[in-house]
Amino acid sequence: MSVKIAGDVQSGNVLLVDNEPLVVLKREYNKSGRNAAVVKLRAKNLLTGRISETVYKADDKLTGVVLDKKDCTYSYYAAPVHVFVDEEYNQYEINEETLSDIAPFLAPDMTDVCEVTFYEGKPLSVVLPKIIIREVEYTESVARGDTSGKITKSAILKHTKHDMQVSAFVEIGDKIEIDSVTGEFRARVK
Amino acid sequence: MSRWDLFCRVVDNYGDIGVCWRLARQLASEHHLPVRLWVDDLASFARLCPAVDPLAPVQVVESVEVCRWTDPFPAVDPHAESAAVVIEAFACELPATYIAALARSTPRPVWINLEYLSAEEWVEGCHLGRSPQPDSGLVKTFFFPGFTTRTGGLLKERDLLERRARFNDRAEEAFRSRLGVPLRADGRITVSLFCYENPRLRHWLDVWRESATPIQVFVSPGWGQAEVGRWLGEPFLEGTCVQRGQVSLHALPFLPQSEYDPLLWSCDLNFVRGEDSFVRAQWAERPFVWQAYPQADAAHVVKLQAFLDRYLASDGAKEQPEALETLRVVWRDWNGLEPAPRPGATWGELVHSHRELAKRGKEWAARLDQAGDLANNLVRFVGEQGGLFPQPRQGG
Repeated sequence: MSVKIAGDVQSGNVLLVDNEPLVVLKREYNKSGRNAAVVKLRAKNLLTGRISETVYKADDKLTGVVLDKKDCTYSYYAAPVHVFVDEEYNQYEINEETLSDIAPFLAPDMTDVCEVTFYEGKPLSVVLPKIIIREVEYTESVARGDTSGKITKSAILKHTKHDMQVSAFVEIGDKIEIDSVTGEFRARVK
Repeated sequence: MSRWDLFCRVVDNYGDIGVCWRLARQLASEHHLPVRLWVDDLASFARLCPAVDPLAPVQVVESVEVCRWTDPFPAVDPHAESAAVVIEAFACELPATYIAALARSTPRPVWINLEYLSAEEWVEGCHLGRSPQPDSGLVKTFFFPGFTTRTGGLLKERDLLERRARFNDRAEEAFRSRLGVPLRADGRITVSLFCYENPRLRHWLDVWRESATPIQVFVSPGWGQAEVGRWLGEPFLEGTCVQRGQVSLHALPFLPQSEYDPLLWSCDLNFVRGEDSFVRAQWAERPFVWQAYPQADAAHVVKLQAFLDRYLASDGAKEQPEALETLRVVWRDWNGLEPAPRPGATWGELVHSHRELAKRGKEWAARLDQAGDLANNLVRFVGEQGGLFPQPRQGG
């Protein structure tokens, strides 16, 4: 725990509010009167996913939380949890609802090193590497000609059956680079 | 019966205690709530309300229990019933011992931070914002005064507009006689002047001296009177009346709150400042010029512009575009943003468009009335938090 002055809080900071960890999504700073200021925070509860808004005087003292982070790899899915394992083979279960953003890319054969965030020993979230590589299980063939990548088509990823847009030149069995933050196709792996 | 504790620190001038006293009085007299007002500067308070004894640690004035807020704060009796509602005015910091006592109380009190007035749009997004306090485990709520229905509204006593409407020529005559200033005379413009330090004042005094229309200026005590004295080159003390060209200048005594409204009502144009006189000028339905509280990084400029945009753009503005534009030029000049290019002509236009601006003032006050008054909105909010509805007094 650390003391955090409300006026210094930034997006991405984690605060302890009502005894629960909240990650700040958006911060608004406004001058009120007599050189004072008001800070409005939009934050996501890391335990429940609930979004809430709070308001503070800029010089209010808040409780900052430093979260533990650990490198892990994906192990398997056992409804309703995804299981990750660290280097010492400790297993961590994370509810699938928490991972809905990255679930389309969680494949049992993936070897990506993921960053798992913990609060008081409980795993809260998982960040994939920025660029991940996945295999295309199915996509329609298109007439040859376009190699620019500007024309896109639908493709189904292996294991997760996630349907995403890829360049028209991508074929079944190709491995592709995906931006895990935006979920967008980046390139075909040669 | 659930007590309301209202905390006020007098930081500078009289705005803080002016607002707090109005609110405390209104909660007590109109909503029949037991109110305890903690003030750290009773001497300033006594100037606004002569019934206050500046030396008394505890006293009851107009049904409000007034307590001196000392440092260190008096020990809080752990067995005494704690307040049901606590209001910290203008983000003043409550005593740590008091907060600790609140944290122990059951049920938890409704804790309000009554904020500064601003016309900026962000205020609507922060009004009634929840503010969990890590140290005490209590939750504070931000309550913003404002100009729209999505804010807390402005302080306005239930009978204010009625009293304003009853203020006829005879009442004005009586008020002026009481004040010891000349009665209204045809063809003369009357101006009230209440300001912070303002280098533009002497420019306007020059303009008024050369004005085509005779002007009578009632100057409130403080920096304004001192600056008029410097401009005159002679002492300008309470009760003084000096004529220079077309302008006659009258140094007023410090008026208690109850006498400030009639002053605004009896003038054709009011120069006001900060928050309390600014709000009263709007309810006075007369043309006015506002000096925003000067802030670092020119934050007041944003606030001034935000208010002007609302005031000049609301219903009816299309009918008086030139008059309103003249008002904008004067406001910007008065706040040091941009000198009026032709101040003499601008003043002439302002005088000429007085009727149109007075109409604007009436329309604006009617519009503000729709947002409800702040004390009423506050009581309603508290009631919604846990059934702490006001209880009428026996026979009251």
